[in-house]
This record gives sequence, C-alpha cells and structure tokens, in this order.
Amino acid sequence: MSDAPAAIVLESVSKRYGSTTVVHDVSFTVERGEIVGFLGPNGAGKTTTMRMIAGFTAATSGRVLVAGHDMATDNVEAARRLGYVPERPPLYDVLSVRSYLTFVARVKGVPRARVRTELERVVTACRLEAVIASEIHKLSKGYRQRVGLAQALLGAPDILLLDEPTAGLDPGQIQETREVIRAFGQDHAVLLSTHILVEATLICRRVAIIDHGRLLAIDSPAGLQRAVEQTNQVALRATAPAEALREALGAVEGVQAVSVHPGANGVVTAECRVDVRDGVEAAIARAVAGRWDLHQLERRAPTLENVFLRYVSGGPSPTRPS
Amino acid sequence: MSGTLAVYQKELATYFRSPIAYYVVSVFLLGTGYFFLYNVFMVGETGMDGTFRNMGILLVTLAPLISMRLLVGEYNAGTAELLLTLPLHPWQIVVGKYLGAVTILLLITTGTLIDLVPLYLFGTPETTTIVAGYLGFVLLGMACLAVGELFSALTHNQIVAALMTAAVLLGFWFVGHLQPFQRSDAVRVLVGYLSFALHFGAFIQGLVRSEGVVFYLVVSAVALTLTAAYLEWRR
Repeated sequence: MSDAPAAIVLESVSKRYGSTTVVHDVSFTVERGEIVGFLGPNGAGKTTTMRMIAGFTAATSGRVLVAGHDMATDNVEAARRLGYVPERPPLYDVLSVRSYLTFVARVKGVPRARVRTELERVVTACRLEAVIASEIHKLSKGYRQRVGLAQALLGAPDILLLDEPTAGLDPGQIQETREVIRAFGQDHAVLLSTHILVEATLICRRVAIIDHGRLLAIDSPAGLQRAVEQTNQVALRATAPAEALREALGAVEGVQAVSVHPGANGVVTAECRVDVRDGVEAAIARAVAGRWDLHQLERRAPTLENVFLRYVSGGPSPTRPS
Repeated sequence: MSGTLAVYQKELATYFRSPIAYYVVSVFLLGTGYFFLYNVFMVGETGMDGTFRNMGILLVTLAPLISMRLLVGEYNAGTAELLLTLPLHPWQIVVGKYLGAVTILLLITTGTLIDLVPLYLFGTPETTTIVAGYLGFVLLGMACLAVGELFSALTHNQIVAALMTAAVLLGFWFVGHLQPFQRSDAVRVLVGYLSFALHFGAFIQGLVRSEGVVFYLVVSAVALTLTAAYLEWRR
C-alpha cells in the first residue's frame, strides 16, 4: 500500500449561507485510481460540495483535504494537484483556444518551454485540433465543454473534479469524453457529478448520492443496488384464487408485504416486498407451486435509477461512507 | 511571479479585444488634445500646467471605465471560478489585473506626449516641471485604478462599479475644496491630505514631494490589499 494521502477527503463538511445550510455534515473519501460519481437532484448540494473541494468556496465547518493539503490553509498547493471543470466551463470568449490554454498552463506552472508539448497533449486527448486557433465565442457547446476539460487536464493534475462533464455533448462526444475520464481515472482520482445514471454505472467505481445537502449513500453501483434489494420486489404470475394466494404469500417467511392483481382466465399477478435473505424466492415458489400453477417468478433487480430514486425519496437507511 | 505575469498577459489580451479600451483611449487622447490646443491658443499657456489639470479630471472620470470590468467581468463570465481555483493567491490575481490596467494608463499617458512636440518646437518649456507633472499623472492614475479595482470586486455590475468608483474618486478630487470651511486645523490638514487634486497640483508645479508620492502609493496599496482580502473573504 502506498503511504500517499487519499486524493480527496471530506471530514464532516458543512456549508451555510446565512441561516440556510446547503451542505450538512458530509464525509467521504476518494482514493487514487478510482472514479467516483456524485449523484443528486438539482439543488442537492453537488455543485456547492464540488466548489468546496475545488477551493472556490470555503466550508463553514469541517475539513476538505486535497492530496493531503487542507483547502482552508493550503489551497494554492492543493490547487496544483487539481483539475477542475465547473458546471459552466470557465472560458474567456475573446481568446483563442490556444491563448486560453496557454494562459492556464502558465498559471499552473508549466515551464514556458514545455507549454507547447503540454498543449498538444491535452488538445489531442480532447480532440480539439480543429479549433485550436478559433476564438472561443465561435465554438459550439460541445467544443466549449471540451476546452473546459482540456484546461483541467493541463499541468498533469493528480485529481480531476468534473461538474456535469458531458452536459450538452452529442453521443459521440459523450463517448469520447468518457474515454478521457476513464483513461485518466486508471491512475488518478476523479470525482464527477452527473445526472446521467448510466454514466455513473459505466465509468464510476463508486457512487455517492446526495440530497438536500446530506450524503445518503456511497458505495459501488452494485453495492447500492444490493442495499436497495433488502426490500426488493419479487413478482410472480400464477393461476390461483387471489385472496388465497395473498394469504399463502403473506405466510412465507421474509415476505413483508403482498399486493395481488387478478387478471384474465384466473391468472393473478402478485408483487411481494421481500427481505434480501437467501431462499425467499425458493420459499415463495414452494408455497405457490405446491398448490397452484406458477407461471413466472422473478426478483426485480433495481437499476441505478431506481436506487437513486429510492434514496432521494427516503428509501433504505443510508449506506454510510467507509 | 509567473502566475501574476500570466494573469497580466491574459488581462492585456482580453482588454484589447473589448471596445471599451479603444473608447477610453480615444476619448482621453481627443480630450487631452482639445484641452492642450485650448490652453495654448486661447489661454496662451507656454507649458503643460493647465493641460495637466484638465488631464487629471479627465482621468478621474475615465479611470472607472478602465477598472470597472476588472473583476466584475470575471464574475459575469464565470471565469472567477477558474481564477480562484487555479494555483494563484488572490493577491496575484489582483496585482496581475491591476498591472494590466496600469499598462492602459501608461499607453494613454504615452499618447499625450505628442502634445509636447509643438511645445518644444515653438517654445522652451521647463522639462523638470513636465516630468513632475507626468509622474503625478501616472501616480494619480494608479491610485484611481486601484480604487476602481476594489469596487469592481465588490459588485456584480460593471455600471455600478464604474459609478461607485467615479463617486469616490470625484469625492477625493474635490474634497480639498472643503478646506477653507474647516475650523479645526486637524480636519483642514486631513482634508488637504486626502485631496487627489491638491497633491496633483504640487506635481504640476514641478514639486515632487515624498508626501504626494507616498500618498498615491498608499492609496493604491490599501485599495489593492482590500481587494485581495475581499476575494479571500468571499470564498
């Protein structure tokens, strides 16, 4: 194990504006070599949290450490390790892409002799060759987004903070951007906020869910799904009397609630809320198949979208960060 | 230092892509040219005294247009989020931008040198007085721009920043007029010390006094320090 400090550490971080608390006591860690997705509805506190990590906004209480540097006291050193793309790419419209990237490279301390090479590296990574000489105000939204990403990659940062990095991109650009993030995340740390749940599933090792400024859960997408499965649904179709089926299902150990929906030809559809314990499905199958015709039985595996909705609407108790 | 330099270069590059820069430079040079011709041909001056006085008041009214966008422009474009998350101390941002604005000041100052050509061709002006006047003009401008940068940091609207700066600068310019109405010696001295116009008047007369130099530099330093402190505080 490396002794290097974690890439990002949030310790009981809160942010208040006057009497309004927008981030409540949030704690989590992002390690090197992992991509963590930050999910939450609008106004959940994602952007404020990202801004606190980036050093644009200071935490009202708690500590934010970036590569071991405290953002409250050592934010300039922390900023050297960080590449940050805010929700709205921070671009100087009147400059050309080259001038803009040169400016950022110089501020990040890239030696003058290496600026050209460094620009070539990020321009290639973000596919900006065609617009390198263009003024930024002439660029499409997709290109603007990619210029924002390119500036974050300058100076070889250890950590990338990306607030909605694929917003406004076409499908091809989204794919390319994900590839850039995935490649970067192999040996660096990435924290990205997104509304696109598929994106989190595809490229994030872990996902943090935040709502009303509170961290509700942080785990791998599969882990979150398992947590929700603790009260997952089992659906079945059988030819049986509805009330008798309801009673039989209700008597099975591990079944918490049953709803039945009579259909045509005596076929009844039933949905059971069940514990996550093993064997519940088998017990249900035995209880039904022994007395009636069981046509179908399935455990509905939740998508990340369902997981997200369950958490933000007050579903399972939070899986606290490790 | 390289961060400050990068901010300075970016500032110049963006400034000259804005029509405001050309407007300010043009109005200032046309205004100065007019006052120079008026003072020489209508008043019969053989030096720059009257022209410097006019340049001073013109600068106090136009400097807010140079400074108004310094930080407001960053807030409105969302680029403040970039600057404040790059490895830069707030003072590097403030000083880099300030030096950009001072470069515009030096540019318009250089533009007025053309007025000296006929003076030296057809007369014998006192060079030391002219140099002192220009030194006072640049120091006055530096103080005006520093105050302007502070107000540019405090608001999110360029017009409001310009109006607030103009109000404060005109207050500093005309405060000396209150001197005769003060009964207290201490207040009279204070009012005189705070007057941009009285200090500038000494430079125009060829007097380069440390009091005047220090005054303008202190006003600049205080305004820049407050601006950097404000940027740090607003995190």
